[in-house]
Amino acid sequence: MIWLVMIACGLFTFATRFVMFSDIAPRQLPGWLQDALGFVPIAVLTAIIVPAVLIPPDGGLALTGNARLPAALVAITVALVTRSVLATIITGLLALWCLDWLVY
Amino acid sequence: MSPSSAPTRSTRSQEFWAGVRQELPLQLGVAPFGLVFGVLGIASGLTPLQTVLLSSIVFGGASQVVFAQLWGAGVPAPVVGASVSVINLRHALYSASIAPYLRSLPLVWRVPLAYLLTDEAYAVTINRLRNEPSSPHQHYHLVGTGMTLWVCWQITTVTGVMFGATIPQSWSLGFAIPLTFIAIVAPAIRRRADLAACLVAGIISVLGQPLPWKSWIILAAIGGIAAGYLTHRHGVREAVS
Repeated sequence: MIWLVMIACGLFTFATRFVMFSDIAPRQLPGWLQDALGFVPIAVLTAIIVPAVLIPPDGGLALTGNARLPAALVAITVALVTRSVLATIITGLLALWCLDWLVY
Repeated sequence: MSPSSAPTRSTRSQEFWAGVRQELPLQLGVAPFGLVFGVLGIASGLTPLQTVLLSSIVFGGASQVVFAQLWGAGVPAPVVGASVSVINLRHALYSASIAPYLRSLPLVWRVPLAYLLTDEAYAVTINRLRNEPSSPHQHYHLVGTGMTLWVCWQITTVTGVMFGATIPQSWSLGFAIPLTFIAIVAPAIRRRADLAACLVAGIISVLGQPLPWKSWIILAAIGGIAAGYLTHRHGVREAVS
């Protein structure tokens, strides 16, 4: 079963990449669709980020006593300044470890 | 014809290696993501073989993370498929933007090139296609960027699968996934509409937690896209009137 779902997801993902390369594709995507698709990365990734930060692995929304929240704020600042994925990961993890050991 | 669009006689290997060279620096961000995906796949209950093959069958980082998390949580297959699909819809944009440069190639070229069309390969190759003189061999540039990313993604997934079990839980390595996405999203928020998409997706993703089948992922994604699109259209209409 899982293999079927994996292959279906793979085929669909390939289709999204191939769609405009095909001989029957229109020259351009409609303007409204282009505008809407432009928001997919921000919407999708935010939907993954926010629960991962606000809801610790042991469950329950945690706005206080949650080292992930300040660590994420550090990471956001580093991301805005450096625009580097690696620097963001490293400072974010370091911040989380320091906060875990020192404060929480 | 402007000087920049005058065809050149770049060779296949020049184009290919230029792609490889320009793609390499981005692997600093891709490699830790691949490692963490390998670890996460096993932690979510996928077998090593399933985790590794997901990286070549789907070959899309964020959607693989969601696949592993949803499948591991016992979410019904149609919801898993729909969530992965929404996440990967954005590739249609890359496909549209790069198609004018590749559409005249035979199908045996277009199929593998489409398979290699990831976020990072697209970002580098579209720069070359737009800003450097066109060449009959320019599609080899996408082979270079795409293959570089593919090889790095497979190697780091396998490495994560092999060593994931040895990494202590207390290292919170899974936190590297939201951190990777923060590095992408934070600098991408430039317009009011981007902020609207981000806020609405974030709020729905928290409020939707009690919903079954982790359907908050797909709802937050669709809500965020709608919020961004409507804010954007509203702004355009104001500017016109």
